[in-house]
Amino acid sequence: MDAFNSVIFYILAAMTGICALAVVLTQNIVRAAAWLLFTLAGVSGLFFLLRADFVGATQLLVYVGGTLILVVFGVMLTAQGPFIKMRIGVAEWAIALAVGLVLYGVLAVSLLASKPRTAPDDRVASAEMPDSTVLGESLLGQKDASPAGNVTGVPPMPNTKGELKTIRRNRAGMSYLLPFEIVSVHLLVVLIGAAYLARAKRRRLAAAPGREQQLGASV
Amino acid sequence: MSAAVGLNHFLLLGALLFVCGAICMATKRNAIGILMGVELVLNAATINFVAFAYFNPVFQVEGQVFALFVIVLAAAEAAIALAIVLNFYNNHMTVDVDTAEELKG
Amino acid sequence: MNIFELFREHPGFYFVAATLVPLVSFLLILLASAMWCATRPFRYTPAGAALFNFFGGEQRGRGAAYVATAAIAIAFLLSLTGFIRFTTEQSTFETRIAGLEKDVRDLQAQEAKATDAKEKEELHENGERVEKQLTDVEGRWEHLRNTSWQSHFDWLRIHPAHANDSERGTILQLGFKIDSLSGLMFVMVTFIATLIHLFSMGYMADELQPEVEDHQVHTAHGHLHRRGRFGRFFMYLSLFCFSMLNLLLADNLFQVFVSWELVGVCSYLLVGFYFERTSAANAANKAFIVNRIGDAGFILGLLIVWTSLGTFNFDEIFKQVRAPLTDTHGPVRLAGRFVRGNLEAENASGNQSLKIADNGSQLLLFPRAKPGHYHAIGNSRGEVDVSAAPKSDEHSSMPYWMLVAAGLGIFLGCVGKSAQFPLHVWLPDAMEGPTPVSALIHAATMVAAGVYLVGRCFPMFPAETLLVIAYTGGITLFVAASIAVVMTDIKKVLAYSTVSQLGYMMLALGVGGWVAGLFHLMTHAFFKALLFLGSGSVIYGCHHEQEMTKMGGLFPKMKITALTMLAGVLAIAGIPLFTGWYSKDAILAQALGYVWVHNNHMLLFLLPLITAGITAFYMARMWFMTFTGKPRDEHVYEHAHESPWLMTVPLILLAVCSVCVAWGWPIYDAEKSWLGHNVHHAQHHAVLADFGHVEAEEEYWAAAKAEAQNERLYAHHNHHLAGNLALGLVLIGIVFAGLIYWKRVLDPAEAKEQFPRLHAFLMDKWRFDRLYSVAVVRPALVVGHWFAAFDLRVIDGIIHFVARLMMWVSKWDGIFDNAIIDGLVNLVGNVTYRIGARLRDVQTGFLRSYVLFMVLAAVGIFILLAYFVRMAMAG
Repeated sequence: MDAFNSVIFYILAAMTGICALAVVLTQNIVRAAAWLLFTLAGVSGLFFLLRADFVGATQLLVYVGGTLILVVFGVMLTAQGPFIKMRIGVAEWAIALAVGLVLYGVLAVSLLASKPRTAPDDRVASAEMPDSTVLGESLLGQKDASPAGNVTGVPPMPNTKGELKTIRRNRAGMSYLLPFEIVSVHLLVVLIGAAYLARAKRRRLAAAPGREQQLGASV
Repeated sequence: MSAAVGLNHFLLLGALLFVCGAICMATKRNAIGILMGVELVLNAATINFVAFAYFNPVFQVEGQVFALFVIVLAAAEAAIALAIVLNFYNNHMTVDVDTAEELKG
Repeated sequence: MNIFELFREHPGFYFVAATLVPLVSFLLILLASAMWCATRPFRYTPAGAALFNFFGGEQRGRGAAYVATAAIAIAFLLSLTGFIRFTTEQSTFETRIAGLEKDVRDLQAQEAKATDAKEKEELHENGERVEKQLTDVEGRWEHLRNTSWQSHFDWLRIHPAHANDSERGTILQLGFKIDSLSGLMFVMVTFIATLIHLFSMGYMADELQPEVEDHQVHTAHGHLHRRGRFGRFFMYLSLFCFSMLNLLLADNLFQVFVSWELVGVCSYLLVGFYFERTSAANAANKAFIVNRIGDAGFILGLLIVWTSLGTFNFDEIFKQVRAPLTDTHGPVRLAGRFVRGNLEAENASGNQSLKIADNGSQLLLFPRAKPGHYHAIGNSRGEVDVSAAPKSDEHSSMPYWMLVAAGLGIFLGCVGKSAQFPLHVWLPDAMEGPTPVSALIHAATMVAAGVYLVGRCFPMFPAETLLVIAYTGGITLFVAASIAVVMTDIKKVLAYSTVSQLGYMMLALGVGGWVAGLFHLMTHAFFKALLFLGSGSVIYGCHHEQEMTKMGGLFPKMKITALTMLAGVLAIAGIPLFTGWYSKDAILAQALGYVWVHNNHMLLFLLPLITAGITAFYMARMWFMTFTGKPRDEHVYEHAHESPWLMTVPLILLAVCSVCVAWGWPIYDAEKSWLGHNVHHAQHHAVLADFGHVEAEEEYWAAAKAEAQNERLYAHHNHHLAGNLALGLVLIGIVFAGLIYWKRVLDPAEAKEQFPRLHAFLMDKWRFDRLYSVAVVRPALVVGHWFAAFDLRVIDGIIHFVARLMMWVSKWDGIFDNAIIDGLVNLVGNVTYRIGARLRDVQTGFLRSYVLFMVLAAVGIFILLAYFVRMAMAG
């Protein structure tokens, strides 16, 4: 990665990490949602930096535009008052932070202990990251477009374009149509399940009319 | 600081996000806050996938495809989680997860 | 084939049916009793009451009596029919055979006289033709006797093959064999049993009451009260009748033994009928145990027969031990006799040769199935090949002493059953049973079974055994008669007279008077049954008083009983023209003939002769004491009464039989009577061979032949001598008895005072009971006490020690269990529980703490992984 990109990375990484910490540290759920928005945006920026344009776009669309809105709606639906705070004890904070630091330490040590991997040299790096067309074809099961076959196992790092092509050819024939379809069905199931769960209250009330009256009285 | 940003930098960032998500889950009493922690953890994973895709050309397509799957699944999970939270709210008239201690041994 | 055709084709089944009818009756009564017991709890419900009353109600038993009596009456009719058929067939064939034999003799005589050659030839041809006819008729009669009057089937087959006969295997058979002896016994037993059933219906009437008071049993609350047992009595009688008839029916020793034990059981049950009385219970036990001693001998005899001969069938046994009458070459030299010899060296084929000698140690056994060409007694040098592992068609041999032992063993069984010295002690005690039982079982039938069996097995008894039998009979008859003289209990007198008369029969069989002995068995059955029933009638009339010292002058009160009993007394005493006279004279004549030849066995004639006088004396004494003179006890006399017709009718019938059953024409000759004729017919040719006139033609047996002929000759010639001597003694005895007990000229008390020790000795029954008590019972008890003490001290000691040891061990084991095993288990449980209780705290139920735990787990896994990876890399 060249120096420019490195600078961009550090900026984005700082923004993302600080926003994530802010999500953790803030006590207000609405503010947390806002910090989360910036975190997710930073992550999508990192995706663009890594030339994964489609993923970054999707991150923005789905997360920032969809999931986060959903979260905000959830906050609004369940908020019993403005700026509600649910505090926890200092001891709990301390324990959680300690555990988190230990975990981070472990992860960092294990990462740094392994051999650092830098980007492939220019000849290889010049090979472009697949764009949305390739991804789409791969998801739709176009064999030619599908570069990879064996998901598991790390092949040796190719040094030349020819080697890379050979590896790709050898691993040709793999497509993501089936996982794609499974994810589609999964989404459908989630849709139905969410709808079902969301209307559960009404069913219960219909099942117990006495309770409805009680609730009505209390409301 | 190394001038060349390598895979480890991304992985460290992912680890940070992951730990932040975990701590978020551990410290937020609000159910929605916990949901946010989950989103952070999932984003950490996504960063790792994409970083792997970038730094090993063999996995270029796989990394991105899995990142996409994770994003989609995160969306689905968020929907379900929100449905659960709403239900929880209906039952307990609050979103404080500490009130949900029926599983206490 | 319907039942009538069966009877027509196989008339032997008349007797089988007669045997089975009482069994059916027994089972019916048993079933009804069971139903009675089953319905009794419901007798107060309407339906239950109907059933309960159907099965007898509170007065049960009457139906049982009818069933049992009807059964035995049917059995009597069946036996009578069968026997008439048998005698008819027999006499038809015999008339024809006799006629043909006469023709043959006539023709032979004419042939001898004839001078003309042509006429001679013609006569010869005629003679041969008639002879052929004769053999044909004889063969047909033989065949008929073997098929329609005798049959058997295999009951139990036990493999492997019998050691002594590889072809046969072990087979136990059931079968029947009817000859004129068993037929006659059937008619006699069923007839007497029928009458006794009738009599019992009157005598046992007390038992019909729902509650009977037994005056002889004293309990804390006075006399014993119990339920009546009328039905049970008749059930036992039916079982007895079945067993007895089966015994007579049997064609093999094993079946006899089975029935033998069955009648023993019935005797036990009926002697102990009033089992609440100690004396009755003891008497029943005594009868059974004493009989066990005899039966042990019986079993030994059976085992010897089985191992030596491989069969129990009478005919097969006799065929094997006795020489046949003819072989392929005509009459056999030793026809019908035992053939003895000594074993000599083995020949090449492993067979041994037996050198015939008249006092050899081995007995020659003849083949059961005769080969085509057959030499009965071997070659001219008197040698027979005998096989070591005999087959049914070859000669073999057994030690002669084994045969003697087998005979003695079987006779020991008969000694027990027929109450012969020294096992006679049970029979007088058996009078504790009801009087009809005494009459049926202990006088007329079962005790005669011993005599019957000796008669049946006679052909397998060698001379030594027969001598033992004769002496046993001689001693028994004298001992018993001498005791009977001083007995005052009317039934005891009769019991001892029974023992004495059975001794007569045994003596007769032992001295070769086969016909005389069995003839006496028949006649005795009638008059002894009569006497017992008469005594029963007296006892019933005197309200169960049995002591003659309290009777006297009862004649006017019970004329029928007195007169019928008088007939019985005269018959047993041997007054001419009464049945006892015929048979007793025959026995005495036979005994005299025997001792005439065998001078050193003089006692065998003197004892029965003297006893004839004694018998007359004590029987007359009994009658006079009971029925004549002044009453000795006014109370008994006042209440005495004649018995009902149900009891007197059997008495009259039996009295008629006691007088007339041996009558024939000319009236003084018993052998001409129907009874004597039939008994005579049953005689096995072996009897004639040993004591008679089978023509033994060789000089080899000349002495024996002369001896045998002399016996018969003397018996024949001395018939009148013996009879007259006996008659004189009988008359003297009766006159004495009359003088003492009727006219009371002489006082019996004086005689008692003059011979106090003799009287005491006789009253003590020759001290047999005391002897047995000292010699057997007390030692047995002492040994028993020793064993008991041993048991108590040593065995129990060991057991108690072991028990205590075990308790001690278990105590410690319990402690160990509680402390250590349970402790361990509890420890595991407690630890698990405590760990669970601790871990419970981990399950906080707080979502956030779970997250923390997960994170911690992830950290742990990372550390572990790192550790293992490092280890793996280092390794």
